[in-house]
Amino acid sequence: MKQRNLFLEILYAVLPAVSIACLLVLWMGVSGNRPDLIPTPAETWSRFADTFDKPIMRLSFFGHILASLRRVMTALLISWSAGILFGILIGWSRTGKSVFGSIFNMLRPIPPLAWIPLITIWFGIGETPKILIVVIGSIVPVIVNTQSGMERVEQLYLDVGTVFHANSRQLLFEIAVPSALPTILAGIKTSISTGWMVVLAAEMLGAKSGVGFLITRGMDSGDTALVLVAMIAIGIVGALLAVFISFVERMICPWLRKK
Amino acid sequence: MMGNNREVKVEVKNLTKKFDDLLVLNDISFNIRKGEFVCVVGPTGCGKTTFLNLLTKLIEPTSGELLIDGEPADPKKHNLAFVFQEPSAFQWLTVEENLAFGLKIKKLPPDEIKRRVDNMLELLGLTKFRNAYPSQLSVSSEQRIIIGRAFVMNPDLLLMDEPYGQMDIKLRYYLEDEVIRLWKETGSTVVFITHNIEEAVYLAEKVLILTNKPATIKEEIEVELPRPRDFTDPAFIQLRTHITDQIKWW
Repeated sequence: MKQRNLFLEILYAVLPAVSIACLLVLWMGVSGNRPDLIPTPAETWSRFADTFDKPIMRLSFFGHILASLRRVMTALLISWSAGILFGILIGWSRTGKSVFGSIFNMLRPIPPLAWIPLITIWFGIGETPKILIVVIGSIVPVIVNTQSGMERVEQLYLDVGTVFHANSRQLLFEIAVPSALPTILAGIKTSISTGWMVVLAAEMLGAKSGVGFLITRGMDSGDTALVLVAMIAIGIVGALLAVFISFVERMICPWLRKK
Repeated sequence: MMGNNREVKVEVKNLTKKFDDLLVLNDISFNIRKGEFVCVVGPTGCGKTTFLNLLTKLIEPTSGELLIDGEPADPKKHNLAFVFQEPSAFQWLTVEENLAFGLKIKKLPPDEIKRRVDNMLELLGLTKFRNAYPSQLSVSSEQRIIIGRAFVMNPDLLLMDEPYGQMDIKLRYYLEDEVIRLWKETGSTVVFITHNIEEAVYLAEKVLILTNKPATIKEEIEVELPRPRDFTDPAFIQLRTHITDQIKWW
């Protein structure tokens, strides 16, 4: 029995590597037979190495990643603080909900990219409009989750607070907000992937740096290897962000850890 | 026994509660002495929980009065604590923080909070789990946290609403002894609601039997059996049978 468990452990450790290897093999097969569709892994790798010798728009590859990350992080910090505050407002206060709730529900379904024309007219094509579009996209999941977390605070917990004679500020900050934290964090997780998605779209329309710009540049010059390099980088950075946020989640909500 | 000449802590006078036209509690009057352990029993749905909610001032009575130490009950002035039927430990707080919750709300000095919490952890035998979260503990430990969280307030009046309703027999026995121990240690005045007659006879100094809705008090029984009580003692069984007969409304 023990041996069997050990075997399974090893199997589960090896399987991810196997599946990635299979993907690589598939990639090599397709690119070997139809080089017009996709560059080979080797070409992609050497294109990646090239980006360090020949910077694109005076920025190294990591420079572009950093440019995108800086935009996303700035936008996310704004979304998180504003989104949580607004979510608490419409999730906790009936007045807040009746005043702002319907406006939010009307604006919410508008995809962030639809704002691009207006934002461009209002703010031009600098950093501000890009960050703003990312804010518009990433704030929605934060607000939605905060609101639903605050609306679903268990009445029992609030009753306990009332019996201990907590005032309304204590009910809000000592009971409602902490009990809604896991839901709020789920919204924050979603906002990261949304933000990352939106920043690329924003950069593909008139930017001089960022991963989205790299993809547009690759597309315009028929440089599919560069597009692929950028795509892989996006995947890796996205995965790293996810790891980072689950680490943060364990720090902020230690009670969700398994026994 | 502690004798019947202790001062009166809680006076309930002609307490009546109507929800619209539905009369739930009808003219209830009784006294609770200081440090007394009172159990309230009655048929299911007779308004026991309404009765408790009135005592905690979660809802207001239609008429009648509730006096604590001769003054109208006021959660701001009087120290009321409540143990709910459902597990209500705050999942996001550690055992220690759960126990300290009410004391912090009341803004007691930190060293006083620490002293009381440490003492309660000791009483509950949870000292080594002080930094654990409720979800990491067993159901019975979680219930003990809730009971400790109430007792640690040194409440003027501690109300318990079927706190062991969802527990199996073994846990019940264990926690019943625990609550008696805490009650003796802290000298709190306790009102304990239950539908389990055996539990009432085991715990109470005084049992209040409520009638079916609209509830009034059918009988007040002083239980003077020595502790620890024995379920198989003929006097115990006789008392239990008597209360059961009184509750039957069919």
